Amino acid sequence: MARTTQDTAPTPRTRGQATGRTLSHLTATYGLLVVFVLVLLVFGLLRPDSFFSAMNMNGIMVSQSVTALLALAEMVPLATKQFDLSVGYHLGVMQVLIIGLQVNQGIPWPAAAALILVLSLAVGVVNGLLVTRFRIDSFIATMGTGTLLYGFANWYSNGEQIVGMSLPDSFTNMTGIVWGFPLPALYVLVVACILWAVTERLPVGRNLYVIGANPRAAELTGIAINRHILGAFVVSGFLSGVAGILLGSILQTGTPSVGPEYLLPAFAATLLGATSIRPGRVNVIGTLLSVLVLAFSFSGVQQLGAPFYVQYFFNGGILIVAVGLSIYAARKRQSLAGGADGRSG
Amino acid sequence: MPDQPQPVVDIRGLTKRFLGTLALDGVDLAIGAGEIHALVGENGAGKSTLIKILAGIHQADHGEIRIDGRIVHPHSEHVPIAFVHQDLGLVDEMSVGENVALVAGFPRRAGFIFWPRVWEQAERIYRAMGVDPPDPRTQAGRLGASGKAVLGIVRALSRNARVVVLDEPTASLPGPDAAHLFEVLHRLRGAGTSILYVSHRLNELFGLVDRVTTLRDGRRVRTAPIGELTPDAIVRDMLGRDLEAHHAASGAAGGGKPVLEITDLRAGGQGPLSFRIAAGEVVGLVGLRGAGHEAIGRTVFGAHPQDGGTIRLDGAVLPPQESVAARIRQGVALLAGDRLAESALAGMSLRENLFPNVPNVRGGLFSPIWTDRETAAADALLDRFDVRPRNPNAQIEWLSGGNQQKVFVGRWLATDARLYIMEEPTAGVDIGAKALIHRTLRDLVTKGTAVLVVSSDFEEIATLCDRALVVVRGRIAAELSGAALTVDALLTRSSLGAAPGAEAA
Repeated sequence: MARTTQDTAPTPRTRGQATGRTLSHLTATYGLLVVFVLVLLVFGLLRPDSFFSAMNMNGIMVSQSVTALLALAEMVPLATKQFDLSVGYHLGVMQVLIIGLQVNQGIPWPAAAALILVLSLAVGVVNGLLVTRFRIDSFIATMGTGTLLYGFANWYSNGEQIVGMSLPDSFTNMTGIVWGFPLPALYVLVVACILWAVTERLPVGRNLYVIGANPRAAELTGIAINRHILGAFVVSGFLSGVAGILLGSILQTGTPSVGPEYLLPAFAATLLGATSIRPGRVNVIGTLLSVLVLAFSFSGVQQLGAPFYVQYFFNGGILIVAVGLSIYAARKRQSLAGGADGRSG
Repeated sequence: MPDQPQPVVDIRGLTKRFLGTLALDGVDLAIGAGEIHALVGENGAGKSTLIKILAGIHQADHGEIRIDGRIVHPHSEHVPIAFVHQDLGLVDEMSVGENVALVAGFPRRAGFIFWPRVWEQAERIYRAMGVDPPDPRTQAGRLGASGKAVLGIVRALSRNARVVVLDEPTASLPGPDAAHLFEVLHRLRGAGTSILYVSHRLNELFGLVDRVTTLRDGRRVRTAPIGELTPDAIVRDMLGRDLEAHHAASGAAGGGKPVLEITDLRAGGQGPLSFRIAAGEVVGLVGLRGAGHEAIGRTVFGAHPQDGGTIRLDGAVLPPQESVAARIRQGVALLAGDRLAESALAGMSLRENLFPNVPNVRGGLFSPIWTDRETAAADALLDRFDVRPRNPNAQIEWLSGGNQQKVFVGRWLATDARLYIMEEPTAGVDIGAKALIHRTLRDLVTKGTAVLVVSSDFEEIATLCDRALVVVRGRIAAELSGAALTVDALLTRSSLGAAPGAEAA
């Protein structure tokens, strides 16, 4: 290659800046992973016997699989910078239905599950159309549909818990533990692998991020924005439905008041995940890591004797600190970049 | 208009140096009470420096500014000058009365906003300037283009300003709206306001302004009553010489098969207009900034609704209202003019910025991206355009403007188009990148493609293009090529509109 030597030998100044940039980029990329390992180490050392016990581990895996699925569901529309606030309510209503359809209507669970998945797709389509066709802000549209779903769950159950009596084993074992491995974690893993491939390795996934980064630019490069956003809401709806079926199988009751409390943890995990692996954008691995970090650190603190309400301080605190740090890091990278060529804006 | 004993604004010997260049060199300027005074000059002649000193953004190195005889320092004190920029800064969602009150202050009673007085205030301020007020409860966004411009001016003057500086106020106004604005300006003049009017449109000065001051290379060339001037004389002052005919660029072109044929196209208030571009040609579409001529290129790209006429690509008619995606598939590429708002994907890598919509380059939405292959393709493009840093994983915002632009040019070259529409391809780009982009565009057409450069940069059009179409008020006012394609000719034609009998196309 006929390049001048000047190209291959950067001046010390630019080299220093490049190193600084790479370094801050690296810390941002793997920060969450480091935190996760630290959490395991610290609590593993403080409570060596109980923290790593199979029961504790499996307990966390099972209870967090629902949050993880919901966080992954939320991630997809969030990649395009659209909010889906209906996922929590959506989860709740489907959890009621999967029990209720079996108990009240006598429908076998595979048929009930199939019906629920179809309904979930429909909810996604409605959310997507409200946002793309009717141009309602996603925050408002999904708050509306979510509240409607919550109303539906309470209407269907008359506000009462549906107790899942004589549920078939094939339904309840679905979320059991096989060979020491919790099945729900397996489902999360499968979903995560698929979503990872889509978001990281398929043009359609990249388009979602492009829309999120700059919708105008996305339009001018020929991306059908509305179709992508609609699709993102459909995926989010589908995964919320899956999470609802799993939750029904775990709880073995259908409780109309369950659901909304899952929204914020799922959101927090997604946003916290956006600080790592691919700093600045929501991503699959970051989301899963965040769920794990939040769950394990809370479990550890609990084992040290902290009361139950500490988890809220914990989640809230971590979210603010982590997102704050990542914004600080991004600004730092930006100023390093700006310093490299004296450019403004 | 005779000089008055004491001008309202009296600028003497204003001098400002930027990094060794004299942006202003001893400029004198006097504006009388009730005078509309035009300030003209080429880009870089010093107009904006002068305005920025008046606005207190820059501090003059030498010289003094007097207002009503008193020396003022805009940099450190409030001066009674109002500034109205092209974008006006109105809040479209708020009412006329609120927009006025944002500047003039909200009348209150017992600490709370007193709405009846808000409406009254707006009407009073309009009337004080001799202008009929619109209903002050109307949303500002619902006023027409001229109504908005008037609102911008009226509210700027509401804080007892004696002088208003208008920066290209008609740049985005359709003809009839401009006429309405002029009427309002005459009323303001009648009410004793002094107006400094900055414009590139020389024709509109006649019948509007009283005197004209021309700047060139930071110096005042002449101040004269408009009655003593002709458009040609003003252009001569701006250029410092008679219009001359020399052309730098290219030789070939014209003979190839037509790639783009446009017939009676109407879109976005432009047209009807017709032109064609042959394979191997770089054609400029020129207009003054804000003239709206970019709507033509955007319509060809499918990003702007087509109101009439036909567009042919390689002889086949493109169905109107086709999507951008469909046009890209057929071989149209468009580099958007606003780099930050319309091209850059902040937070994403150079690789992703080069291939934002992979199906434009290969495969479908669901055909896998092989990272190493894509990285190799990105490397090749970055290498070809000498982008620094040459690292496909660097984020776009780490790059300088020039390097970013090279990435976006690369984005479109990768699509292998037939027709490249380039909006302001080198705006805000350093000299090295500019030369490289120009070379790339010239190379492109040797492979049988066509390039349409949509630009307001006359220098660029004159050096880069084989042919230039000058758009004035939505029509092609002139077609220049060969020796006739010069900066002077482009400036004259776009500032003055059609020369008698020169209507082309």
